[in-house]
Amino acid sequence: MTVKTNVQDIEQEIAHLEDRLRNARARLAVAFASHKVGDPYLPLPEDTAGLVPTHALLLLSDSALPLGSFAYSSGLESYLAHNKPLPRSVTPIASFHRFLRLSIASLASTSLPYVLAGYRRPVDLESLDNDLDASTPCIVAQRASLAQGRALLGVWERAFRGTYASSPFSAGPTAAKAVKMIEAFSDALKSSMDTDELGPKGHFAPLWGVVCLAMGMDTRQTAYVFMLNHAKAVLSAAVRASVMGPYQAQNILASKNLQAMITQRIDREWDTPIEDAGQIVPPLDLWVGRHELLYSRIFNS
Amino acid sequence: MPIKSPFESSIAKPGQGKVVLSLLPPSIPTLTTLTYKYPLKLLTRVPGFVPQTSTPSRPSQPVHLYLLTYGGGLLPGDNISVSITLEPRTRMVVTTPQGSTKIFKTEPNASVKGHRGTPKNILSDKSRQTLDVHVGEDAALCYLPDPAVPYKDSRYEQIQTFTVDGLNKSSLCILDWVTEGRASRGESWDFHLWRGKNEVWTTTTTDDGTGIPTEKKKLLLRDSLILDDELDVELLENDAGTISRSDLIRERTRPHGVVGTLILYGPVFEKLASFIMDRFTSLPRIGARNWASSAPAVMESTPNYDSQVTFTAARVRAGFVLVKFGAKEFATAKDWLGGILREEGTVFREFGEEALFCM
Repeated sequence: MTVKTNVQDIEQEIAHLEDRLRNARARLAVAFASHKVGDPYLPLPEDTAGLVPTHALLLLSDSALPLGSFAYSSGLESYLAHNKPLPRSVTPIASFHRFLRLSIASLASTSLPYVLAGYRRPVDLESLDNDLDASTPCIVAQRASLAQGRALLGVWERAFRGTYASSPFSAGPTAAKAVKMIEAFSDALKSSMDTDELGPKGHFAPLWGVVCLAMGMDTRQTAYVFMLNHAKAVLSAAVRASVMGPYQAQNILASKNLQAMITQRIDREWDTPIEDAGQIVPPLDLWVGRHELLYSRIFNS
Repeated sequence: MPIKSPFESSIAKPGQGKVVLSLLPPSIPTLTTLTYKYPLKLLTRVPGFVPQTSTPSRPSQPVHLYLLTYGGGLLPGDNISVSITLEPRTRMVVTTPQGSTKIFKTEPNASVKGHRGTPKNILSDKSRQTLDVHVGEDAALCYLPDPAVPYKDSRYEQIQTFTVDGLNKSSLCILDWVTEGRASRGESWDFHLWRGKNEVWTTTTTDDGTGIPTEKKKLLLRDSLILDDELDVELLENDAGTISRSDLIRERTRPHGVVGTLILYGPVFEKLASFIMDRFTSLPRIGARNWASSAPAVMESTPNYDSQVTFTAARVRAGFVLVKFGAKEFATAKDWLGGILREEGTVFREFGEEALFCM
């Protein structure tokens, strides 16, 4: 076979290859569009592809992530107090299972749309934060969400930014955009801290979405870790409130049942716009709100 | 081209209504617009009540608006849409004199009888009510309706949007509550869907240097409740005859038979808001024990309403006080709320006894 040296031939070959590339790109775009709307998963460069998402996933799902989540029982403590004494037919474990089920469903319906919106549209971070603040029905829940959101922002600035905002690990243009949005939001938050009652607040859910995007996680993981971390926090609170022992808590955490529950709730809220987010467990608002009335408390919510 | 009838209503769609309340000089509240179309009916009345208020600027007389529907409820597919504008310094009381808003059931076999296509239609006939209220500066709205009573198998959606001008100038008192259905007929959260959303927006006009004032909208408060039995639509398609019953809503609302939200905002309701906040913060601590005596804790001798109604009140933001409550029986909740509103007296003083008609 003769090697083509003719300029014209090479040019033709390049044109042909470029054509194929364009074609493949177009097909890829179509495939993505039909796959899932708003799922901006981008192929990563070979050398970092394996590292970025898994490593970030492990960091963000670590219970040692300093968000202070251990201080909140998300209404469990108040729920236990309101349902005391239990009727004879109900065991404490069964009562706890009910709470966990309600709590997960409620978190998914109220907060998950904000996580997903933060991930899909990081530009809207400030308005998402405002809308979530407007939708938070009580001080106790607001306090919990703000403390964790601001802690996440702190962890990002002091720990993750150095690695994830610099170019070799940056997971593509959308992640870079997310980084920019976090910085802008953080500045706005600091400059308006406690002066503007309607200014940026730093709620947990939308920030979680944006930080996960900046760290190269995919949408599904972002949602799953958010839900799983909540389940972990509730179970950890249950252990400390002596509802059950640590092994039993791990047992529940590992169970197929919990996995299926989380997946089902994520599937259900996957396309829920934030305008349609809302409470599906009305007594939970009452329990959380009445946490302040407890005579003795070991948690902040 | 068809000639447009001169008698045609200015409102095109059934179920739509529009009310504009203005203040004509010196201080006469006047309805400058009042239109509605079947199945909606709007009635108004000025009861001649003069607010007994201590504020220097004498507020105008409240105008009463009655929201009525033929049959006293909503049928599947009904779509009620009411738009109300309260111009500055006006006051309005909105009530539902027909008693509870009944949400009639969606016929499960309606689609099978006719040729209306696939059994998908089983879940498509939702009834809907939207209320859009603009409350101008120094205007006040008192909206204390009867609760919604969703019948078995019904599907309903309600969106209430309130827009206020500026911050903390307009006043709002909004009650939104829903019961488990006709408890006397054994219904207990047996409907398919009830979705209620209350939003308060504010518009601020800013001049960004271009000379053209731009209106900026900001969400101040959103209260959204979704009671959905999450029926599997695909399952229904395969087996249209039997609707599998899920007790998801009952499970999620237990132990309550009625749940509700009261939203308070603005200078007119400030005293009422503080009163309820005090009431909440002074509730007895849960799990408190009397350490002083060795005798077992004294059981509450007189069961008061605060102990039968589980409620929480919070000053959320921008001056809003959000009260959420739940009770086993509708009557208990009604007596509790009516008791608080009467005891405190703001609604009576500013809007008259009739504003508490549904309580």
